[in-house]
Amino acid sequence: MLRSLALPLLSAGAIAIAGGAQAQEETLKVGMSGGYFPFTFVEQDTLKGFEVDVMEAVAEEMDAEVAFVTANFSGLFGMLESGRIDTIANQITITEERQAKYVFTQPYVYDGAQVVVKEGNEAIGGVEDLRGKTVAVNLGSNYEQLLRELPYADEIDIRTYESNIEQDTALGRVDAFVMDRVSASQVIQEKPLPLALAGQPFSEIRNALPFRDTEADRALRDRVDAALTALREEGTLSEISERWFGNDITRP
Amino acid sequence: MSVLDFDYMVGLVPILLRYLPLTLAMAAAGMALALVLACGLAVIRVLGIPGLNGVTLLFISFFRGTPLLVQLFLFYYGLPQVLAFLTQIDGITATIMGLTLHFAAYMAESIRAAIVGVDRSQTEAALSIGMTNGQLMRRIVLPQATRVAVPTLMNYFIDMIKATSLAFTLGVTELMGATQKEAAGSFLYFEAFITVAVFYWVIVELLAWCQRRLETRLNEAYRR
Repeated sequence: MLRSLALPLLSAGAIAIAGGAQAQEETLKVGMSGGYFPFTFVEQDTLKGFEVDVMEAVAEEMDAEVAFVTANFSGLFGMLESGRIDTIANQITITEERQAKYVFTQPYVYDGAQVVVKEGNEAIGGVEDLRGKTVAVNLGSNYEQLLRELPYADEIDIRTYESNIEQDTALGRVDAFVMDRVSASQVIQEKPLPLALAGQPFSEIRNALPFRDTEADRALRDRVDAALTALREEGTLSEISERWFGNDITRP
Repeated sequence: MSVLDFDYMVGLVPILLRYLPLTLAMAAAGMALALVLACGLAVIRVLGIPGLNGVTLLFISFFRGTPLLVQLFLFYYGLPQVLAFLTQIDGITATIMGLTLHFAAYMAESIRAAIVGVDRSQTEAALSIGMTNGQLMRRIVLPQATRVAVPTLMNYFIDMIKATSLAFTLGVTELMGATQKEAAGSFLYFEAFITVAVFYWVIVELLAWCQRRLETRLNEAYRR
């Protein structure tokens, strides 16, 4: 309560002081979960990650300030909808449903669905070898849908999990699991589990920044999009990606 | 997978301590406001004030009949779509509002029960020696009702402290929100959540201790 009263007063004061020196700086309000390593996470009370670096670069390119708002993933679209934030930087995948409601920038991450197996499992070399196998996916992800769209879907035993698909694959309870390539690589690197990528990603996922579909927000989207283009051309996007992932995930 | 990382847990304590005041402040503000509102609602119910009584019943029915998370989402994300000025409400205020309305509905019923529970003979005795209605309430009914209501009200306060952990869905980084984000950065989910569980547990135990002392004081007149 105290803080909610103090903050507007403080910021009003800050604007008044800044206003004397220069024109009021524009602030881009960006929502993220703060809970999706290595895209957005907290270490020692500091918000970090690929998304944080990208949005800071975008704001600098636009000559604006950036303010990060962290909330549970389930609250983020509500915040966007009620105008509390301008956009969400949390690996938001472009889907038809979302496109019907929001306007997106250009994709700044290209990812794919990846099959992951227990280390040493030579029987599965990619999505085409999943026939007759047991495959784990996370509940609520779009990977279950992707698997069901395969022509031989009825021959795959798909199991949906709330969590721990990595652990169960490593333990051999299922033959493989499917998640996005970037996170899968990260899990293999970070977690001490005997896992390996099987073959190439089999379906493209494109992640971008959503904005509300109003005139003012479309204009903001265009400026953010222009900033992304500039960052892409000068190599900053690739640089940030290399720093976090060791490869460039910002190009198809 | 491996043994507990104690160093990480110890390192987490000072970080989480920074978010403790916000959690406690939201619960304290919510409790204070809910108490005032609940007393008002309870009095309306006890006296059966026509008109107001119906509104109170509807209020209690709604706020007791729907989940707190639904109410928080409704205030913070839902209403601003209908009433644009409500976008001004920040997450902290919305959380306190939600806690107040939700818990006031429960507390009103427990305060009403405490008032109604004071034996009728007490009222009759007080009136027979010529006390006014005000004196009757202040000196006879309310002190006895308070003694009955305190344990249940403390129960709600304890529940409210833990309910503040929902505030992260409204973008308020309190104790639980800070823990979730730290856990995502370290992958040490077990350690992080054990640490925050101990935080809540200790707070609640401290409160329970205060409650015991308070109850002892309120029970002094009844000691044999």
